[in-house]
Amino acid sequence: MKKIKDYQSKDVQSYLSQVKDNDKDIGAFLEFNDSAEASDIEGTLSSVPFGVKDNIAVEGMHLTCGSKMLENFVSPYDATAVKKLKEAGAICLGKTNLDEFGMGSSTDNSALGVTNNPWDTSRVCGGSSGGSAAAVAAGMVPFALGTDTGGSIRQPASFCGVYGLKPTYGVVSRFGLVAYASSLEVCGILADSVDTTRTVFETIKGKDVNDQTSIDHIPASPEAKTIAVLSGDLGLSPEVEAAYKKAAEAYKEKGFSIIETTLPMLDYGIAAYYTIAMGEASANLARYNGVRYGHRSKDASNFEDLVQKSRDEGFGDEVKLRILLGTYVLRSGFQDQYYTRAQKIRTAVRNEFDSVFEKADLIMLPAFPTQAFVHGDSSLDQFQQKLADKFTVAANLAGVPSMSVPVSVENGLPVGMQLMGPVFSEERIFRAAEVLAEVLPPAACPGKMEVC
Amino acid sequence: MSKYDTFIGLEIHIQLLTETKIFCNCKSNFGDEPNSNVCPVCLGYPGVLPALNEEAVKLSYIVCRAMNCDLAKEGVFERKNYFYPDLTKNYQISQFEKPFGRNGYFEYESGDEIKKIRFHEIHLEEDAGKMIHEGDRSYCDYNRAGTCLLEIVTEPEFKEPQEAEDFLQAFRRAVRHLGVCDGNMDEGSMRCDANISLNLPGKGLGTKAEVKNVNSSRFVKKALQYERKRQEKILKSGGTVIQETRLWDEQRSVTESMRTKEQAHDYRYFPEPDLPPFRPDEAFLQIVEEAQIELPLARKQRFMEQYKLTEVQAEWVCEEKQSADFFEKVVSLGADAVTTAKWLMGNIAKELNARNIAKTDLGTDSCQLTEKRLAELFDLLSNNKIHAKIAVQTLQIIFDEDKNPTNIVKENGWEQSAEDEGELENIVKQILADNPKVVEQIKGGDQKPRGFIVGKVMAATKGTANPQSVQALITKLIEG
Repeated sequence: MKKIKDYQSKDVQSYLSQVKDNDKDIGAFLEFNDSAEASDIEGTLSSVPFGVKDNIAVEGMHLTCGSKMLENFVSPYDATAVKKLKEAGAICLGKTNLDEFGMGSSTDNSALGVTNNPWDTSRVCGGSSGGSAAAVAAGMVPFALGTDTGGSIRQPASFCGVYGLKPTYGVVSRFGLVAYASSLEVCGILADSVDTTRTVFETIKGKDVNDQTSIDHIPASPEAKTIAVLSGDLGLSPEVEAAYKKAAEAYKEKGFSIIETTLPMLDYGIAAYYTIAMGEASANLARYNGVRYGHRSKDASNFEDLVQKSRDEGFGDEVKLRILLGTYVLRSGFQDQYYTRAQKIRTAVRNEFDSVFEKADLIMLPAFPTQAFVHGDSSLDQFQQKLADKFTVAANLAGVPSMSVPVSVENGLPVGMQLMGPVFSEERIFRAAEVLAEVLPPAACPGKMEVC
Repeated sequence: MSKYDTFIGLEIHIQLLTETKIFCNCKSNFGDEPNSNVCPVCLGYPGVLPALNEEAVKLSYIVCRAMNCDLAKEGVFERKNYFYPDLTKNYQISQFEKPFGRNGYFEYESGDEIKKIRFHEIHLEEDAGKMIHEGDRSYCDYNRAGTCLLEIVTEPEFKEPQEAEDFLQAFRRAVRHLGVCDGNMDEGSMRCDANISLNLPGKGLGTKAEVKNVNSSRFVKKALQYERKRQEKILKSGGTVIQETRLWDEQRSVTESMRTKEQAHDYRYFPEPDLPPFRPDEAFLQIVEEAQIELPLARKQRFMEQYKLTEVQAEWVCEEKQSADFFEKVVSLGADAVTTAKWLMGNIAKELNARNIAKTDLGTDSCQLTEKRLAELFDLLSNNKIHAKIAVQTLQIIFDEDKNPTNIVKENGWEQSAEDEGELENIVKQILADNPKVVEQIKGGDQKPRGFIVGKVMAATKGTANPQSVQALITKLIEG
């Protein structure tokens, strides 16, 4: 098992060329940082390379969001999380692929490249932070930044067999994260170990003057004795079902008490989540109109024409669908029926979690009902992929932290489980994940890159 | 008398005098090089977030409080969605359900009456950029994008276009006194949209038309007068007014249709997820309270009452807060109030004009005439150390040379020799002796040559003699 310090490199360019070579079969990166160099700054993260999902700003690098709309856009500034990592001496090695604007759960919705699952290149790496998950799984970087709006860190982490933390809402600044659904999303971490996740989390967390929804982290108790699991038919694939049982057994073995519970609100979560997310997205993506930056249609005759054509040419189908639905739910006179109602469900989800956290310190639940599926799998269309987000969106609606933890490898593919806790319980989650790793140590992806 | 009732409402936008924009640290200056005060935040670049300027919130609450509004315990920003080239995010961060102020009112003078207009709400929002059209090209200047804009919405309760004009002038004066806006309608730092509807008495509001693009209070009146006539004509002929937005054409003095209700935007408001609701605490409300001042109308009334100023004088003095403050400070230093007002409107206004010093510069470093200097000047005058003509000359030198009046009078040897009646009498005697023919004329009952003698005395005393004393001495010496 590689440690974070094994990645510390004094010859970054030669390391980068190995990574480039390695990435040919994976396609995790959209852009490499050819001017990356070693850092003089002292510390754990000094000269440690990392990947950044391409919807997070890195000064002087592209910020494509996996979209033709921003294919040529270069960011003039650093996101706060990136800035903090740079200040700690870490090196941004490149920008990773994603579903366009974070909309999807396979990374196949990227307009700019295909990313394969390092465990089986015929399969998807999950999404939307798929490039970041694949880069970590393939050993190209010990960690990468991702974003999680409804599971976009945890689901690809599960598909690629790495750790994926979605922190408490507001604990990591969103400044520099290209907005999709502002009230739901956070900047988070995909990493090859709990320890690396913890180190990066400690580095990037904290209140930021540039993000007024950001908050200081006031750690909750790190102790966990009781873990709640979901009972009943959850519609899981046999492999995921098996992994869920293994994880529960492992905790029992370690002296935790496992209690069964139900979360009836999960079934409403999807509808509420997509209503809120698409509503916010319809406004957040309005700025891309071809006027100041981004794709500009060549044959427009006036302003309206320019906006329509630029957006038609620049956005992919899934993005257009979500903007249309979002515009629909926000129409005046329909808000009570959709947006306001979704917010009420959101409160109900939060209350339901609160009551479970009175009985249990953590909730363990699957990240996704299946393992990584093959590219273009017709058995799981876009609509079904959305329904399958039901285990992940709840944490975004409630604003609580949740981490996908690799549990086992079934039929050659990894399965991850989420450990979810109340707000600020990241350290509790880390410790519980470490306990699990003692019983079920995470398996390395076959062909994982060796650090020289 | 028209058979219809008129209902007029105004939406006023004022640019708040903050140093920086509402959500970023760019300067909010008028007239700078286009697109020089911009950054990723106000240009709506991918990934940026708004960070609310607390000063803008403070100024907003100060206005809300001064306009007698219920102050929001929770102010919420919302996104107002529409596409326009000058709007960088294609949504405007504004307020909708929970504005900072509601249910206010404001008193203003119209004709001989004090009238009261009620406010529906006052809310804070970001301004858009500016479009500049040249031939077949359009340019965008985003310097104004993201500057702090406060919108004041009145109830539709003005009955006459004249009231709207009177209100606007009084309101402009009030925000200038509060120091929250410079009120320059021609530079766009104060803008006004007006809506108007007509209906038969007792029938309530009619179908309104909104008039935009009016950049002076006088044009607001003219546009409303035009619009009232237009609607009256439609109603009289049995037609119906359509709800629409109309543009005022200043050149032709008409309003023209811009868009109808069917073409109106659905703004799809929803709460801004990037900004938490603003909840004022006690300390904040205390600051707002301490920033409250006497508004110009109340101050004017008090000046008439307390200082016995005429309405014209009080009006002049209270036009700007700086001039009213200056006046009160001079009076508090012992000067006579009416004299001070007269001088301000007369000699001082003339000097200010000649030197391009604004009335608002009174009491600041840009004006050499300090309150203390003016009080000192009045003191010299009232103690007969100098007479009025010398005082005016001294005033000019205060401005020219930035000196104290006592020093100026001393340096020029202008102390009035009135104290020394004996010396003045000798001078008059000598001049009378030098001009026997004139003395004869005066003795013969012709009073005209008296001025000649006074002039000679003034020349001999370098103007320090008190003309009245000289006149008295002439009478005494000739008629004995």
